[in-house]
Amino acid sequence: MAFQWSVLYFLVLLQVSFTPIFAGSSGEEEFSEELLLRPLPDRKVLAHFHFESRAPPTEIYGHHHRLFPKAIYQLVQKFQIREMELSFTQGRWNYERWGGFNPITSANAKPPGVELWAILDVPPDQVDASWKNLTHTLSGLFCASINFLESSTAYSSPDWAFQPSSRSLRYGALPREAVCTENLTPWLKLLPCRDKAGLAAILDRPSIYRGFYHSQRLRLTSTEVGSEKGMESGIVLEQTLTIVLEPDAQRPNTNHLGGRVLQPSWSLRSIFGREISGRCVLAKYSTVFIEVERNLVSELKKLGRRRGVAEIASDSWTDPFFDLSVTPDKTIKEMNVTHGDSSSILYEFSTEKYLDYEPFDVGLTWKLPVVWSSPQAPFRASRFLIGSGNQRGSIAISLKSTEPGEGFMSDLAREGCTVRVDVFQVVPWYVKVYFHTLQVFVDGRHRRVTDALEKIHVSPSEDKVSPGLMEMVLRFPCSMKSATLTIEFDKGFLHIDEYPPDANQGFDIPSAVVRFPDFQASTYYLKDNSRKSALLSKFQEKNLLLSYTEILLVPLATPDFSMPYNVITITCTVFALYFGSLLNVLRRRVGEEERFLKEASMRKGMLPQLLSKLSAKLRGKYKDSPQSSSSSSSLLNPKLMFKVALVAGIAVGWHYYFE
Amino acid sequence: MANTLSLYRTVKRLGIPDDRIILMLADDMACNARNKYPAQVFNNENHRLNLYGDNVEVDYRGYEVTVENFLRVLTGRHETAVPRSKRLLSDEGSHILLYMTGHGGDEFLKFQDSEELQSHDLADAVKQMKQKRRFKELLIMVDTCQAATLFSQLHSPGVLAIGSSMKGENSYSHHLDSDVGVSVVDRFTFYTLAFFERLNMYNNASLSSLFNSYNPSLLMSTAYYRTDLYKRPLDKVPVTDFFGSVMETIHTDSAYRGFSVKGTDKAEIKAPLNLKASQAERRALSAYHQDQISDFNKEVCSFHCIWSTLHKTVVEKIEDADTFVNYGLVVIIPLVAASTWLWR
Repeated sequence: MAFQWSVLYFLVLLQVSFTPIFAGSSGEEEFSEELLLRPLPDRKVLAHFHFESRAPPTEIYGHHHRLFPKAIYQLVQKFQIREMELSFTQGRWNYERWGGFNPITSANAKPPGVELWAILDVPPDQVDASWKNLTHTLSGLFCASINFLESSTAYSSPDWAFQPSSRSLRYGALPREAVCTENLTPWLKLLPCRDKAGLAAILDRPSIYRGFYHSQRLRLTSTEVGSEKGMESGIVLEQTLTIVLEPDAQRPNTNHLGGRVLQPSWSLRSIFGREISGRCVLAKYSTVFIEVERNLVSELKKLGRRRGVAEIASDSWTDPFFDLSVTPDKTIKEMNVTHGDSSSILYEFSTEKYLDYEPFDVGLTWKLPVVWSSPQAPFRASRFLIGSGNQRGSIAISLKSTEPGEGFMSDLAREGCTVRVDVFQVVPWYVKVYFHTLQVFVDGRHRRVTDALEKIHVSPSEDKVSPGLMEMVLRFPCSMKSATLTIEFDKGFLHIDEYPPDANQGFDIPSAVVRFPDFQASTYYLKDNSRKSALLSKFQEKNLLLSYTEILLVPLATPDFSMPYNVITITCTVFALYFGSLLNVLRRRVGEEERFLKEASMRKGMLPQLLSKLSAKLRGKYKDSPQSSSSSSSLLNPKLMFKVALVAGIAVGWHYYFE
Repeated sequence: MANTLSLYRTVKRLGIPDDRIILMLADDMACNARNKYPAQVFNNENHRLNLYGDNVEVDYRGYEVTVENFLRVLTGRHETAVPRSKRLLSDEGSHILLYMTGHGGDEFLKFQDSEELQSHDLADAVKQMKQKRRFKELLIMVDTCQAATLFSQLHSPGVLAIGSSMKGENSYSHHLDSDVGVSVVDRFTFYTLAFFERLNMYNNASLSSLFNSYNPSLLMSTAYYRTDLYKRPLDKVPVTDFFGSVMETIHTDSAYRGFSVKGTDKAEIKAPLNLKASQAERRALSAYHQDQISDFNKEVCSFHCIWSTLHKTVVEKIEDADTFVNYGLVVIIPLVAASTWLWR
């Protein structure tokens, strides 16, 4: 009896001792998909897809994966990627209308074209070679020309302005890269259910590309390599697709109220043309959220008070203003809200229970008109070019204070309060920036650069080798209305091979990144740190407030591309004429023969001269003698004469003899 | 672009997977801001078929479509970093279909409006491919103006080429889509597609029926093809050899064949020996034959040769008139002497 108990105890002990090994990681592959829909103030709808796939570390789980895409796993292993982000974007994120201060904007508002940055865990002298191979592999994987980032003129290594300090970070952007179905196809093939089942099945390609903005992003974080082994789950692959669409524009409703027009009603079917018809059984959870952001909530509250509607419980007080076609499973309110602010509301629909019976479609119908604006970042950053001509110009970055509203900065508007702004800019080598010409204007007045500039890191460009990098930390007073930074540049000359086929369009300067480290765009929805929703836990992370400026198009001096052809033609003609004439002149013996004859005859005297002329005439009738024998014939001339004379003499003698 | 995409769709429909297709599109038309129908490319006015579809993979696009990259793909000379999806991974048993369309002319094809691919460059690349054993059979289809001139310089065996027009002729587009604002497909490709839309994977239509289906009056140009480098008769070659991927399956009732297999093996083994023997014999024969002929030459030569040597010497020596006179004199004197002595 005691022996059995001891054995049992021993077994329990063994099991207990084993579990801590697995306790650190989840030990299982996970895949989740979520969709967030949010109405935007300018009659558009934001649709944000979030697909997250986790793979446990290789030491525990091994190399074979069920859900995690093999291509990405091999990518991480081969290039020792610690972190990587690749985004394909078309369209410009409209910060004024669509918001600049929420987690989706700070993570998903990307510059147009392709942006790639990666932290590779290899020795510093091998980072560039690994980056080059990584760009080629990604270009083959995603059907884009990412391999143009391989040359050292296309990427740069920022120190601290882009990501908190990392030695082996490489950043590159292609502003003019087109994004189309061929980039989405392989991106969707990384998902376990592809685009056949689950949320990805509603992605109707024409609807996506008809939108005002679409951005597909791939974010890889791995603790496979380097330090922190076995700490957290091995590889996390996050794929997001952010689309801003306009629902089918119906005739503006006659339900005017004070001259305002009703916002368009929309549903999944009206914006995508499809409904969610099948479940992705490989997904751990598949959720649809509809978010009503806090400014809209406060606007609705104000309108409700005006109309005398009492503020009831959170899930029913919005009834007067809009209707949801499906009753939400859960209503989540934002927590940790600063005083006086309203809180955003999230309606959650978990698709599992619906899809057993019928396709799932959720829609929002507006009943009364409402106008609101999205929360903004403290400053609206934009960038433009100054100057004209093909020789020089200036780049200006302007920061305009947005009306923050509702005590956003009121507590910061004390005396001596400053706002920190980080600026990160990369210019190609043919835009030769003069860093000593940096000027700062605050509220229209010229200031000393050292007043505003706290820290600056500059990596000057090298012709045809590396681009120019500029990282700055600026400090401005909180009450400032506007600030402008200008910097002058000279335009460089490119070799004729370096011009693209459409050279007269101009050349692009990639977007600059403006960061506001004093603020965080996080929204707290979850009570505890439970991993029930990957999207909401992303919202809760320390999201830095980022803003991308516009891309600048710089016209450079272009050569006349027909010149090589012209030069070759002219040179060949000149050479042909010269050498042709030269050879002709060398070969021809036009006057030489006559001259020689004249000389010979002048030596002989009159009679042989006449005789030789006679013979020449006779001979001229016989033959068109070749030039080679002309010399021989001229030599034999006297001999022949002698022979003829001899024969004539013999004939005469013969005649006399026989007479 | 609709030309290439239509053929891409046909070829995928008949069984060739994406990793066996290298698609090079120089322009971004589908998602261009000026396209009224984003992510959609049509090859017909009725907009019935969206060629771009949901599942397209473009390997080279935009500025990457250059003559250099095209020739690198054909010859396989890539940098080490280039991924597999951008390489032509073919071997000596492969059948390759190469379809080119765009603006072209006498012995060239335009790339990106700034470069040309010349016919002798293409011929050299194909020659390299043959030397490196990168294909067994190659079908080149060209749909440009004066397309037949592009493959006029080819000289490698195993290559079949068809062009939409001959030298001096233009290739025309089929119809204009006034909604989109451009002509959507060219005539040659349109009729090629019409032929393939009638087919499915298991038809065994032959290449000769494809080539004969082109009507010059409908095409408004002559579709010219050259078969001088291609050994197999065209009516025996199924179109799915190039345009589709059909695996030949032989249905067997039992899992094993048992001893009967040996017999066939034996037969197979024998045949080459026979061949070899006959070849050897032929060689011997030919050698013998050659010797005989040379002997014959020698025999006959005796009479013949003297005359020819005489002739040669005489003719060669007499290069100009004065030597002729000399010889004449030399000959005349004894004759005159003899004649006078006779008539004395």
